[in-house]
Amino acid sequence: MDIHIIIEEIKKYIKNNILAEAVHIDASTDLKQVGIDSFSTIEIILFIERRFGVSIPDEKLIPDNFKTLEALAATVMELMPKAS
Amino acid sequence: MTPFNKAELPEKVILSGADCFHLVLDKHARKHNTGGNVMRKIFYFNTPLSFEKINSILTSSPVIYWLCNIKLVQASFLKRPYWKYGDKGREIILLQHHAENENLIPEIILNRDITIKSDRYIEADLVHYPSGSCAFILSWNHILLDAKGTTLLFEHLNQLSENKIPDFKVFFPDTEKKTNVLAYIRNMYKVKSFIQTSSKAPVSSVASSPIKTSDGRTLTTIISFSETETKQINDNAFNTGSRFGPTLFLLACCSHVIHFINRQKNKAGTIWLPVPYDGRLRGAAGPLISNCVSFLFYRIPQNELSNVHQTVRCLNTQMMAQIKDGIPRKYTMFLNMMRHMPLWLYYFLISRTGKGVFASFLYTSTGDNFNLLKSLFGVPIKNINMIPALTYPPGLTFVFLKHADTLHINIAYSPQIISTNDLVLIENKLKEFLLHNY
Repeated sequence: MDIHIIIEEIKKYIKNNILAEAVHIDASTDLKQVGIDSFSTIEIILFIERRFGVSIPDEKLIPDNFKTLEALAATVMELMPKAS
Repeated sequence: MTPFNKAELPEKVILSGADCFHLVLDKHARKHNTGGNVMRKIFYFNTPLSFEKINSILTSSPVIYWLCNIKLVQASFLKRPYWKYGDKGREIILLQHHAENENLIPEIILNRDITIKSDRYIEADLVHYPSGSCAFILSWNHILLDAKGTTLLFEHLNQLSENKIPDFKVFFPDTEKKTNVLAYIRNMYKVKSFIQTSSKAPVSSVASSPIKTSDGRTLTTIISFSETETKQINDNAFNTGSRFGPTLFLLACCSHVIHFINRQKNKAGTIWLPVPYDGRLRGAAGPLISNCVSFLFYRIPQNELSNVHQTVRCLNTQMMAQIKDGIPRKYTMFLNMMRHMPLWLYYFLISRTGKGVFASFLYTSTGDNFNLLKSLFGVPIKNINMIPALTYPPGLTFVFLKHADTLHINIAYSPQIISTNDLVLIENKLKEFLLHNY
């Protein structure tokens, strides 16, 4: 799956479920700066696990991996099974 | 200051489910004389503040004006309670005080109650100290504003001091979306069953049941950490497995302290605590008025209190499960449904939870809400403190507040529950658990 598709899907989820309408984000927005807190991060993780069928291991649960949509999508890419 | 149109303020604001829960707590506070349901936020400044300037900013706020000109209309049969606004021309009263001891808040402020029958639901005080420093204190009844609402209020005051015109409609709650009654009832049973299991007695609390009448005093003590210590606490949180911010680590440390105290008194047992969860959309400018909090509920059995790592893991599992199950959203629906009940019945049901032990202790955190707030009214802030409305029982609340990258813990307690010896132990053990090298 293309990283841009993953970014768009996570962005759509965040915009529809977590953020206020007036808040705009793009791939490199610092999510903490727009109000994404620890509870929202868990909601995002649960969405990612559900939508992309990956399980985020403990060692990947570090702030840098949740800082931006780009970082989140890169983490998902790493965890997704590689096409042979 | 730009004037606002008083006629545009909302005439009727229906209380949210969480507001009504606070009505119950307010009733409880009056019944047992536990010091009221008043929250206070204190801002300390190195330099004096101008009374005229502050007064002018406060009186130019449409929200504050609204808070000074409303009255509560109680629920009647199947009708929800609401705030009724009528332009009585009442402005906020800003009082000035002179205190002899630096940072001390005069008793007259701390003992002043704001009840549901008060003319104004918000009050302001300015305290001058001999060194020229001062403190600004805003006090309000918790039925009207929650922690995030307060943050939004101070941001609003800062905007006013910069002569920015507020779009005050976002400060008031939107009209609620209608929910299917059957969905409400199904949800109510689910949540009722979850809460009953979660809060099942016996719960080990710092307070013993049954509830005694208190002498109405809330005492507080503050533990402050340096920037280096705060960083160490954050590192400890991460090292013990608190992956999404330090909250679970802070909760685990508080739980261990209470477990330690209770063990000394031979009343150790399961810890049960509700932790507030902000129900607003993230990044939203409102609503400022009304409590939008829901709760997550943690139950920590004794066998999960062997060490802090283990407790953090236990809390993490429960937090993930509850967010996955949508418990905060369901609990909000539950509270919204409870609004239709007469207050006496609501109170009766709530006071039966956990055989009258509301929680083992209470925890609240301002998170990063005030961390970056550098100034108020255009003046640099030296320090911030918050005095919570103390719920009794349990009669012990830990308030975690971060400002300028330093952590401050305000321990609010009822002296009838926490003795001087207990307090010393709590302070020492809390520091020990937080700063231990994990």
